[in-house]
Amino acid sequence: MTAPPLTKTPPPSADAARPLVPAAHPPGRRNRRVDALTATLFVSPAMIGFFIFVIVPAVGGLVLAFFEWDLFGTPVFVGLDNIVRLFTDPDMWQALGVTVLFVVMGVIPTIIIGFLLAVVVNSNMPGIGAWRVLYFTPMIASAAVAAIIWVNLYNGRSGLVNQFLALFGVDGPNWLSDPTWARPALVIMMIWGALPIVIILYLAGLQRVPEDIYAASSLDGAGKWRQLWSMTWPNVWGTTLLIAVLQAVGFVSGSFEIALIMTDGGPLGTTQSLALYSYKVAFTQRDIGYASALSLFQLVLIIVIVLLSRAIVRTRKERS
Amino acid sequence: MHPRLYNAFRYALVVVCGLVLAIPLLFMVSGSLKSAREINAFPQPLLPETPIWQNFADAWNFLTPQVIGNTFIFSLGVVGLQLLISLPAAFALAKIPFKWTGLILATLVVPMFVPANLTLIPLFVVTFQLGWLNSFAGLIIPMAAQCAFAILLFRQFFATLPPGLIEAARIDGAGWPRVFGSIALPLAKPALATFCSISFLTAWNMYIWPLVVAPNPAQRVINVALAPLAGGENSTISPAVGLAGAVIAMIPVLIVFIVLQKWYIKGVVGTGLE
Repeated sequence: MTAPPLTKTPPPSADAARPLVPAAHPPGRRNRRVDALTATLFVSPAMIGFFIFVIVPAVGGLVLAFFEWDLFGTPVFVGLDNIVRLFTDPDMWQALGVTVLFVVMGVIPTIIIGFLLAVVVNSNMPGIGAWRVLYFTPMIASAAVAAIIWVNLYNGRSGLVNQFLALFGVDGPNWLSDPTWARPALVIMMIWGALPIVIILYLAGLQRVPEDIYAASSLDGAGKWRQLWSMTWPNVWGTTLLIAVLQAVGFVSGSFEIALIMTDGGPLGTTQSLALYSYKVAFTQRDIGYASALSLFQLVLIIVIVLLSRAIVRTRKERS
Repeated sequence: MHPRLYNAFRYALVVVCGLVLAIPLLFMVSGSLKSAREINAFPQPLLPETPIWQNFADAWNFLTPQVIGNTFIFSLGVVGLQLLISLPAAFALAKIPFKWTGLILATLVVPMFVPANLTLIPLFVVTFQLGWLNSFAGLIIPMAAQCAFAILLFRQFFATLPPGLIEAARIDGAGWPRVFGSIALPLAKPALATFCSISFLTAWNMYIWPLVVAPNPAQRVINVALAPLAGGENSTISPAVGLAGAVIAMIPVLIVFIVLQKWYIKGVVGTGLE
């Protein structure tokens, strides 16, 4: 967020102002002590909370991956057992596959649809503000609210999705209990939920595309559709990459609440991502150590995604 | 294409795409007023013949005023506590000369990139060890302590305050608490609007944290109460009542979002671009 400038006078630099400070506040050691003391008092409540509920869990999560613990007894150090188990656990491999599928099926459509919708609403015609709210509303539906809505929409008999398909003579499946269709059903729903953020970010990106590139191309007689892909799209490339990373991370972890509420990972584990699997290992099997190892593995996946995106940026820069 | 025809086409496109995106929510509203027979019918009518307002009374009774009260306590508690600890910290990190500022900022930034569900288990363990399960303290404090975003947002704002303004007040003999309370804070309204809207929406919509930390009825929040309605098709409660419950759950966030939309979006864009 950038805040508007508050005064019209240019701010004098602190160093320049210092010699002018009169005797009431001597720039002495005492003053510096007051500064340090006040800063400490101001910062401490937040930092104590941050330490206990962010740093300790972060380190604790790493450490717990090497223990066996049921939350109530004494944790037993088991070395690399949990890590070894990770790679020999068929449920883990299935969950990993589901996670990868969620990302693959979700990210690219989200980006393309989000980009097109952002281009559509990126206009200053009268009343656009009110219509834009429609585009942002999916964002404010919680996982539980979205689940209640979509369970009804996906209902095999009376759901609107199948009624819509029936118009074309298609006999829709019983989406959420069909091993083939449950996963795409959840992906569609997640795309719907992710679009507002993508649209907002693309709108911000589109504001920075210089107008004059279009003026030049209109003279060349380029059609609007071609203009879109050959001029606008390359110009928001930085935004696209950012969105790709955010959404990849989002689909790795975000698939979890919705699947937990709607399908509980089923049918036949087809919607059980790594995040949901580690949640179940922790909270239904009370196997805290192995669940922590699973979380750690997800963290590694996310780091790989981020590093990959960096490598893409670098090669892209070298080419241009 | 003729420019006026093009504009009409553009307008139609905006409206149609917006409506398509909003179909699930429009369905939620229309479905919440259908009779049990209508919502289970095939084909299901798009609109109820006569709106069944009783669904909302049933949903309200199912959710109970206590659950709704709990959700307000939780959300406002998280927002309030975050403000209380983040504002002074952000001010100190932006304006008070302090040798640890750099280190603190570096520490704050790193965990921001780790998705919340990865730290869910150890955070639960810490809360459990503190004996805070099934309490508002356990519900609110660990979430309020995830304050890196708040501190960085406010610090960025305080950093834009002209140093001259603060120097002048210091020369007049104002202590840091006064500079903070009567100069910096009143100017921080835009940042406050951004933060409060984002933080309130996030807290109100939380599901997994309240589910694992405080599943007891005494602290149950609205999303935890609603979620079971989405699970089974054999539930004894009409889907229409479930949808009415979903509408009730969305009203507070919808109001906050519409009122603070501009600030909310600014915040989302700001964090996305860093």
